[in-house]
This record gives sequence, C-alpha cells and structure tokens, in this order.
Amino acid sequence: MDSVAPNKFVVGLWDHEEVYLHAIEHLRHKGVKIYDSLTPFPVHGLDEALGMKETRLHTAGFFFGATGTTLALSFMTWVMTTNYPIDFGGKPNWPVPSFIPITFELTVLFAAWGMTLTYLVRNKLWPGRVPRIYDKRTTDDRFALVFDAESLTDAEINSIKDACKKEGAVDVKDKVFTEAEGL
Amino acid sequence: MTNEKFEFTDSLKKNLYIMMGLGLLGLVWVFLGDHESNHHGRLWSNLLANSYYFTGIALFGMFVVSATQLAYGGWQTLMKRIFISMSAFARIGGFLLLLILAAGIADVHKLYEHVSHIMHTGHGDPKYSTKLVYFASWFWIGRVFVYALLWATFSIVFDRFFGEADQSSQAKYKKSKLLAAAFIVVFAVSESAVSWDMIMSLDPHWFSTLFGWYNFASYGCAAWATSILIIIYLKSKGYLNQVNENHVHDLGKMLFGFSIFWTYLWFSQFMLQWYANIPEDTNFWVKRFDEPYFKVTIFGALIVNFLFPLFFLIKRSAKRNFKMIGFGAALLIFGHYVDFFNYTFVEPNWNHEAMEHGHGAAVKSENVVMLAEAHATEAAHGAAATDAVKHEGHEASAAVEVKHGEHGVESKHGHEAPVKNFASIGIGEILVFIGFAGLFLFMFFSNLSKRNIVPEDDPYLKESEKLNVTWA
Repeated sequence: MDSVAPNKFVVGLWDHEEVYLHAIEHLRHKGVKIYDSLTPFPVHGLDEALGMKETRLHTAGFFFGATGTTLALSFMTWVMTTNYPIDFGGKPNWPVPSFIPITFELTVLFAAWGMTLTYLVRNKLWPGRVPRIYDKRTTDDRFALVFDAESLTDAEINSIKDACKKEGAVDVKDKVFTEAEGL
Repeated sequence: MTNEKFEFTDSLKKNLYIMMGLGLLGLVWVFLGDHESNHHGRLWSNLLANSYYFTGIALFGMFVVSATQLAYGGWQTLMKRIFISMSAFARIGGFLLLLILAAGIADVHKLYEHVSHIMHTGHGDPKYSTKLVYFASWFWIGRVFVYALLWATFSIVFDRFFGEADQSSQAKYKKSKLLAAAFIVVFAVSESAVSWDMIMSLDPHWFSTLFGWYNFASYGCAAWATSILIIIYLKSKGYLNQVNENHVHDLGKMLFGFSIFWTYLWFSQFMLQWYANIPEDTNFWVKRFDEPYFKVTIFGALIVNFLFPLFFLIKRSAKRNFKMIGFGAALLIFGHYVDFFNYTFVEPNWNHEAMEHGHGAAVKSENVVMLAEAHATEAAHGAAATDAVKHEGHEASAAVEVKHGEHGVESKHGHEAPVKNFASIGIGEILVFIGFAGLFLFMFFSNLSKRNIVPEDDPYLKESEKLNVTWA
C-alpha cells in the first residue's frame, strides 16, 4: 500500500455480477490498474479475476499461534518446576498433559487476536477512522470498480471511463476526497 | 458432460483378486505364525480390526451423503456417487462383525473372553450387574445383527434411490431429505453402540464415554482419505473430468479438520483418565505403555494422525496438489489403521498360558498388577489387590503400580509368569489389510460400474461444477 493515499478516483458502477467479472478481466487485460473493488455480496471468482495474491494473514496467524503455544508451555513449566512447585494429586511436577488444554486456549487466543488486529490495522479499520465511501449503492445493488486517478492525465481518465462504459458500466463518475474526509 | 459409466476392466479386476489373494495368504500367515497358547487371537484380531475399519469407512460414505443432503450441500454432488459406492462394503461389513462376535460367543476364539468370564463368574459383583444384562449373549449378538441388517439395507436403498433417474423432481428431493435424516439417526446410534459392542468390550473394565465419537473421527479421516485417493485414481483413468483441485481441496480440508477432531478426542480421552487416575481406566494405558511396541505405535499414530496433518495438510498448496494430498491421504489411512490396531490387538494377544492361573490378570514380572481386582476368582485375593491399588494411589504417582511381591496376584502363581504380548504389525497384518482393501475396492468398483458416475439430473450439479475455492 502506498504511504500517501490518493484522493482522486474514478468509480465505475455495474449492476450485474457476471458483466462485472468479465469487465474486470477485460480491463486488466487492457492494462488498466484497478485500485479497489466493492461489491454488495461476495462474488465467486472475484479474487482470480482481480489477480489477487494469496493472503499472508494465515501465515501471520500461524506465528501468533506459535507465540501463544510457546508462552503457555514455557510459563507453566517455569511456574510448576522452578517458581512454585506443588504436589497435585501425586502428579509429577512437570505434568505436560494437564498443560495441553491451557496451551491450546492460549494458542487460539493469540492466533485469533493477532489475526483480527493485523487484519484491522492492514485495512485501516481502527477506531475513530472516517471511512471513505466511493458510492453508497455498493451496499445495495451496485458493483463498483475504483481506479486511482491521482497521477493520471485527463486523456487517460477519459479512456478509462470509455472502457468502463464499453464493458457495460451503468454509471461512471469522478470521486474526489478532501483530506478531512479521512483515509 | 456425457453420461459415463465406470468400466470395471479385467486388468483392474485381476489386480483386486491378487490383493484379495494376498489377504487370504496373510490370514494363513497369521494363523500359522501365531503362538500356540494364543488361541489364534492374532487371526481374529486381524479380522476384527479390518472388518471394523472398512465397515466404518463404508458407513462414513453414507454419512457424508446424508449430512450434505441435509445441509443443502452442493459442492459434493460430482463426488456423490463415489461416497455411495464406498458404502457398498457396508453390505457385508456388518455381517463380518456378526460372524466374529458369534465365533467369540461360541468360544471359537478368546477375544471376548473377559466379558464371558464376567458373565459366568461376576454374579454378585454390583459393578457388573448392568453389564450382565447388556452383554447377555442373545442381546449382544442380536444388536450386532440389527446393525448389520440396517447398514446393508441402507446401503442398497441409498444406491437405488440416488442412482435412479429424475433426481430433480420435487417429491424425490423431499424424500431424499427424509432418507438422509433416517440414516443419520440410525448411524448415530449404531456406530456408537457397535464401538462398545465390538471394540470396547475387548476390555470390559475400561470405559470411555466418547468412544463412539472417537471411532467415528478415526474412520472418518480414513473415509475422506479414501475418497481422495479414489478420485485421484479415477481422474488418472480419464473419469470425473469436472472434478478438479477445488473439489480435492475441499475434501482435503475435511480430512484436515477430522484429523484435528480425532486428536481432540484422543487427548480428551487420555487426559481425563490420566488425571483422574482410576485404576480401571489407567489399566488400559499402563498395559499399552508398558509394552515398548505399543508405546511406539500409540505415539507413532499420534504423530502421523496429528502432527503430520497439522504441519503438512495445513498448506493450501498441499491440499491442491494431487501428489501431495494423495501421499497425505495414504499415510493417514495407514495411521488410522494403526490407531485401530492399538485398540483391537492388545487384549486378545496376551500370553494366555501365563495368564490362565490368574484368570486373565496381565502380570508383568517387574512392576505392574493389572485387572487384579476384577479377575481374581478368590474373593480374598480380589479384595487384597483392590485395597492395595486404592491405598497406593494416594502415595505413589501411578495408582496402579503395585510393588512386585507385596500383594495378591503372583502369589497365586507361585512362580514368575512374565506376560508377553504377541501383537505386532508384521507381514501378516499388512497382507490382511491389503486383502480387505482389495475386497473393499472390488465392492466399490463393481457398484460404481453399475450407474453413471456423475448424477446428471441432480439439482445441485451446477453448483458442484462451478465450485471455486478462493483465497479467503
């Protein structure tokens, strides 16, 4: 993601998912760079059409989980063997089987919290953030493609608009955000 | 897509006959190779483990069809026929179990001798009063007969119902829900009960309240793995062209999920019994952990069935690559066979000669007295051993550990009676497994060749054809 978010966009709106998917494929084929895609419901095949790479979120989740596992096992080991060893029901001082449920819980906790927070931060969804709304109807029945128009010339913008209309867009419009309108 | 049927070629038939022949050879091998004092325990435990395992896989095929049908599932439609044909083995599997049980009750083998022993001598012991009812021969064998009959019937009904034309009619669709719901109920009860009747009763002193679930998860893994291997095979022969890595990916996810589920149950079963440390429960583990061989197979099974899927099958690329998922599936089928081996082979294969004096008490010369309280026929000995176990429980870290020479059981022998377990996974076991696999596949392919592989008029077919597993 860019360090400075662009403020000037071209937004194309479609009203049918099949047309929308084909439009994405054709536009990408023409070399048009798509900034974002907004749909009212999950569209099957959208990831492939947009050419998205596999998310690395689950890899992060694995490492968060591994942190939880390590922390739980090492902490309980330290407490039970070194810091405060107690004889519980004749069990050894290092009763690994009884560590497993807690280890499991901490693994899940770390993985879940870590992944959730990573997801929110990466998507800029922290508290107090004013979301940028490209078009209100993307939550209803419109499929939107957003193009970054910050560094494009007017001619390039017009060619994108024409291409969208040719691919069946029902509406194409400019959208400019001021700095006050959030990220 | 064209209407295509699987062609059961002669060369494939020949290969399966060879597999079954190897199985017979294996049975002869284990029959001859068994220790003479063992009452052919090895032969019968081989038959039991494999019959049970493959019947479970077959039943799970019907379970998958029922569950997805009830849950409005669409992704599996292209593979529906595979799961239904997998259940063909359920037509004989239940009766094989019945045969094994009947032979046990007729005293042909000693697999269920502990239960029989309680039946004959356990009167007056309040602990076993309910078991006397539950394991009354006619009730016991009657139950297994009912399961066998129900499974065979359902397998035939499923085959006919889902195989015949016009799946798309509304009336038929409604009826399919009813059929699926009926099977789920029958399966839920019978698969739990058969696990008690056939497997848990090998050691009548040991209880595990999640044993039905545990077995379900175990052959569930094997069934997903079997379906993956079969699909890879059929695709390599040019069938099932529309089934692609997306479908195998979904099957792989189920395989992964069931592996974790199996581990959860394995651990829940182990941890509670380890923590509670009740002699009757811990016996089960002590018996296994004291034999170096079973220590290896138990923890080996845990590594193969848990750690391997956890680190290998978790990757998306592994689940979508036919070679990798095929390898994983084959390994897990073996791993869950070993799991059933751990449950079925231990009890029947103790050295009976050494045990006969102590009535089945498994006595190791070094340190362990097991089943002491339950099997001692003399009341005095029984009481002494029970007390010993209870008192020691407070002092020692392992409650079942009774010091050698101090109490009851071996004083009855008057001599050292080292008990050895004969069970191991040798050539015989592998051959018998191959034989059963051949029988299973023979029934599978002959069922599959009868009808179209792809249910053309299934209302969910389109959904399955378009299946697409995204990154998310």
